Amino acid sequence: MARFAFIVPPLHGHVNPTLSLGAELLTRGHEVGWITLDPSLGNRLPAGGQLLLAEYDQDSEAYLDQITKKNVSGIESIKFLYEEVLIPLNRFMYEGINTLLDRFKPDVVINDHQLFTGAIAAYNRHMPYATSVTAPAAIKMVEDLPGVHDWEVKQIVGLQQELGVPGNDAIVLSEKLTLVYTSKDFFGYMDTPDHYKFIGPVFNNRHTPPPFNWEKLSQMGTDPRILVSIGTTFDHAYKKEFFSKVIDAFANEAVTVIVVSDEDLFEHWPSNFIVQSRVPQLDLLPHLDGVVCHGGHNTVCETLSHGLPLVVIPIAYDQSHVAGQVTQAESGVRLNFKRFKAPHLREAVWEILRNPVYKQAAQRIQDSFERSGGAATAADLLEDLAPVIPPYGMTMSQAFYRNKVY
Amino acid sequence: MDAIATHKLNSEEIFALLKQFITEVIGEEFVEDMDISKESSFTRDLEMDSIEIVSFSEKVKSHFGEHVDFTGWLSGMDLDQLINLKLGDIIKYIEQCQ
Repeated sequence: MARFAFIVPPLHGHVNPTLSLGAELLTRGHEVGWITLDPSLGNRLPAGGQLLLAEYDQDSEAYLDQITKKNVSGIESIKFLYEEVLIPLNRFMYEGINTLLDRFKPDVVINDHQLFTGAIAAYNRHMPYATSVTAPAAIKMVEDLPGVHDWEVKQIVGLQQELGVPGNDAIVLSEKLTLVYTSKDFFGYMDTPDHYKFIGPVFNNRHTPPPFNWEKLSQMGTDPRILVSIGTTFDHAYKKEFFSKVIDAFANEAVTVIVVSDEDLFEHWPSNFIVQSRVPQLDLLPHLDGVVCHGGHNTVCETLSHGLPLVVIPIAYDQSHVAGQVTQAESGVRLNFKRFKAPHLREAVWEILRNPVYKQAAQRIQDSFERSGGAATAADLLEDLAPVIPPYGMTMSQAFYRNKVY
Repeated sequence: MDAIATHKLNSEEIFALLKQFITEVIGEEFVEDMDISKESSFTRDLEMDSIEIVSFSEKVKSHFGEHVDFTGWLSGMDLDQLINLKLGDIIKYIEQCQ
């Protein structure tokens, strides 16, 4: 039995896969903790999981949802993400991570790829660590826009040096094990090191799903059904503009539209719409024909893992790259968030619903996900990182050094 | 379209060519509503996202081939330079390379 500590940022997409991985480790009899700033994570942990809350004198509320505070898009959003979200969040969390690692004493640390200080703290303690890459398209940056990638590395290395890691190489992606939650087929061709393990997307399907008006859905008839969601990190103004186009596109169309939005965003929604602020997405997908989304990695992968085609409308961060992967795999159509108008959305949706090539491609990606191993494979790989119980009188420290990773 | 340019283009010809590439990347109907000038920046004015900039750069690359190391030039840019990149900067760079 070993002890594992996940270090996660307060972002759902980054936390959810770790919940399934952690659940798998717990069923194998290991001890698992989550280091986080977010007290609400306690309600979502799998049974037996330990909430390791990083607490500070200073108010940490500001760091919980600052990503939703500003409307950003395009390449500029990368600058915002690093300078105003990730670097301050990492710097803020560092001390708490150190304290909790010293208290919990994990055998293996798993840092989110954007929680750099998780890796830095483990590195400085000579603790074995793996990295959880919850937004794999970010890795593509090195190929798509190398200058931007270099800039990102510079920000990370600056923080590393500030926190006592010498050298100019980023250490935040573990060289022992970097878990990438996608398949090679969907990720697209790129040379990656052997320690990058493409285990496929891992979904959190163990929590209690939010309620849904299934009766209303069944009364909607046999028209094709789509889900429209732009995730949790964009604010009101973006949502209002976006969903007004969705209304214009599909009011009076022979399609049932399930919208993830606050119902009071508009006074009236068309009668073929079902609007809920939260939906049981994984339960809904088997009943749908297509998904319109912003290109968040989780929603895209959940959709493809059900063999459904997509219309992707990337807004910011890595979403443009995720959308690029969707079109590269021919599993959907992309639109530009700033430029698209209602008729473009309507046309794009009918295109993915009527032209079978998109669904066929989505099913190919679905197969590739199923072949990738998932949480069980990830748990095997993580167990391999844990120092073994020393056999035949070998001391624990000899065993540790044999498995030493940093 | 992918033919390697054999004669030197002047700045107006390069501008017209780049406008054609932008049209191919973002679609004709959107370009009609845009005022594309040499002062247009890719991210703010043309609202191109990362992948659109990448496909634009692939078009420039396949047109000029080895005569213009456009991808290399673009790779040398850091985030701020890329955010501020204007059409005119690319025209100047291509002119220098010819």
